Amino acid sequence: MTALLLATVFSPLLAASLVAQPSASEDAPATDADAEEQPVTYGPFFEAEPASDVEFISQPRPDQTPVLSLGKGAFCFVEDSYCKASLLLSASLGAGIRAPASDEGPDIPYAQFTFRGGFTIRPVMFRRRPWHPWGIGLVSSWSRGTGSVTVRGDALDQEIESTDRTTVFRVGGINQLWLSKKKHAMHLDFTIGGARSDVLTSGVKLWGSHAELAMSWGGWGGVFFNGDFLDRDTRVVMGFRGHGIAAGPILAMALAGLAMGGAL
Amino acid sequence: MSVLLSVLAGSLLAPGPEVQRPTGAPPPASAEPATETEAPADGPAETPGEEAPPSEAGPESVAAEGPEQPAPADPEPVAPVESAPPEPEPAAEPEPTAPATPGDTERFTVAAGEGGPPYYTEADQAQLRQRHEIAEPASDRGGDRVSPVRWRCLIADPTCGVNFEVNATAAYAYRGRQGNVSGNGEDPRWSSGRAQYDFWMNLPVMVETRGRNKFTRMTLGPKGGVIFSDSGSTWGNLGMAMRYWFGRGRWAPTLEFTSALSYKIGERTAREATGEAAKWRMSRGPVGFTADVGFGLGGFGAIVVGGQYDSPLAREDVPEQFRVSAGGAFFVGFRGNILWGGPAAAAILTHGLTQRTVEAP
Repeated sequence: MTALLLATVFSPLLAASLVAQPSASEDAPATDADAEEQPVTYGPFFEAEPASDVEFISQPRPDQTPVLSLGKGAFCFVEDSYCKASLLLSASLGAGIRAPASDEGPDIPYAQFTFRGGFTIRPVMFRRRPWHPWGIGLVSSWSRGTGSVTVRGDALDQEIESTDRTTVFRVGGINQLWLSKKKHAMHLDFTIGGARSDVLTSGVKLWGSHAELAMSWGGWGGVFFNGDFLDRDTRVVMGFRGHGIAAGPILAMALAGLAMGGAL
Repeated sequence: MSVLLSVLAGSLLAPGPEVQRPTGAPPPASAEPATETEAPADGPAETPGEEAPPSEAGPESVAAEGPEQPAPADPEPVAPVESAPPEPEPAAEPEPTAPATPGDTERFTVAAGEGGPPYYTEADQAQLRQRHEIAEPASDRGGDRVSPVRWRCLIADPTCGVNFEVNATAAYAYRGRQGNVSGNGEDPRWSSGRAQYDFWMNLPVMVETRGRNKFTRMTLGPKGGVIFSDSGSTWGNLGMAMRYWFGRGRWAPTLEFTSALSYKIGERTAREATGEAAKWRMSRGPVGFTADVGFGLGGFGAIVVGGQYDSPLAREDVPEQFRVSAGGAFFVGFRGNILWGGPAAAAILTHGLTQRTVEAP
C-alpha cells in the first residue's frame, strides 16, 4: 500500500521529465525558423559602430536613439540614421547659372534662397530590419531667385528685357541612400519632380522638371546641386542647406538687422 | 519453510549500503527522510517478504530499524561537523562545472573573501604593476577635464566630436569697387560694416587620446551662411571651416580658417534707365570668394581678419546696364557662437548701423 502510494506520487515527476525532452528538441527548429525570417545583413552599409574603449567626455558612446524623435526613432523631427519616418524642414542658399536658349540672351549668374519641407520613410525598417540604407519620401519647396535678362534681335534692333526676381514652386519624390549607421550619418539624396516658375521675361508661369543630388549629414544640413529645366530657361544651382532649427535663428537675426537698419 | 522464509525476509530486510544524504537538516528531520527514503527503496523488495511472513518480518523490521536508530543517532555528533564542509561546497561547486555546450564560456568564481567583488585592492594592482614593470596609467581624464561640456556640444569644445554651431560675425569692412569700365579712373573706396551669419558643421578630423578619453584636435566641415553690408548688399556663401585647438580645456586657444564661395543675392539700387527709385532688388553677381583667419578662445569667439572678392560680370554679350564691376573688401572683426548672446547682438547692431549710416559711393 505504501509502495503504491509512493509510486503514485512519483509517477507524475517521471512523466514530466519524459515530456520535457521533446520541448528541448522543438527549440532547435524554432531558432532556425527565426534565423530564416531575418535575412543575413552583410556589407559595409550594415556594419555597426566598432566597439571602442575610448570616448569623448561630452559625447559618450552614442545611443542610437535619434535626437528630437518620438518612439525611439519611429518619427523624427531631425532625420537621422535610425529614423523610420522623418520630417524634412530646411532653408538653403544657392548660386549658379541661368542659361536661356541661345537666341534668348546671355548666360547670367543666378542666385536663390529656398524653403523646403517634406517627409521621408524607411520602408524596410518598419518590419524587417532594425536598419536599412534606403529611404523614400516626398518634398516640396518654394524659392525666390534673381531675375532674368533676355536680349533678342540683332545689334541694330535689339530688344532687352529683364525681371527683378524669379519665383519657383517645386514638388518631387526623394530617394535616399544612407551610407552608415552612425549618428549624423552621411547620406545621398536624389530628388526628381516638377517645378512651376516664371519663364524668362514672358511673365508666364509654366511647369518644367526638377532634379537634385544632395549630400547631407543626418538631418542637420548638407550641400546640394540641382537644376530646374523649363521651356528655353534652364537654371543650375549649387548650394548649402541647413535644418530649420539652425536656419531659423539666422533668419531671425537677419530680419532683426534689417529692421534695425530701417529696411523693413 | 518458515525458516527459509525468515532467512529470505532477513536478507531482504537487511539494511543496504548507507546512502549519503544532505545532513544540513536537524537529526530528527534527517532520520525521518532517511527512514522514508529507505522504505521505498526497500519497499518493492519488502513487499513480497512482508506479505508472506508478516509476523516474522515484524520483529525483523524492528530489529532492522533498531540498529538504524543508533545510525541516525551517530550522525548527530557528525552532523555539526558535516554541516561545516557543505559551506565551502556551494562556493567550490561552480569550479568543476564543465561548460554545458562547447559554445558557452567557462565561468570561474573565486572563493569568497572579505567584502564583495572585485576581490583585489589598489595594493594588489600596484603589486601587479610592479611585478610586470608597468608604468602608472595616465590620468583617465587627461589631467584637466572631469566634467562634460554644457550646452550639449552646441558650443564647440575639445571634448566634443561632431558639433553643429551657428556663428555671428560683426566686423569693420574696408570696401572697394573697380571703377566704371569706361575709364574715368575712379575706384571708390569706403569704410563700411559687415555682418555675417554662418552655420558650421564641425567634423573631427584629428583626435587626441589621453587615458580613456578622446579630445578633438582639429575639426573640418562644410559651412554656409549670409553676409550683409551697406546699401543692402547681400551675399550668400558656401565653403569650409577648420578649427584647430591648441589645448584640451574649455578656453583653449584656437586657430580658425574659413574659405567660401560668395555670390551676390541682392542690393539696393536705382534703375536709371526706367527712373525707378532705389530699392532692394535681387541682383545677379558672379561667384566670388571670401576667406578669413580667426584667433579664438574655446568655441566662444574669435578675432577674425579676412577678405572678400567679387568677380566682375562684363562679358560682351551682357548688356551694359546689367554688367557688374569687380569689387572686394578687407574686414576685421569678432565672430562667436550665438548661444551666449554677445556675438549675435554685436552682429545685429553692426548690420543696423551699417544700413542706416553708410552709403556706397
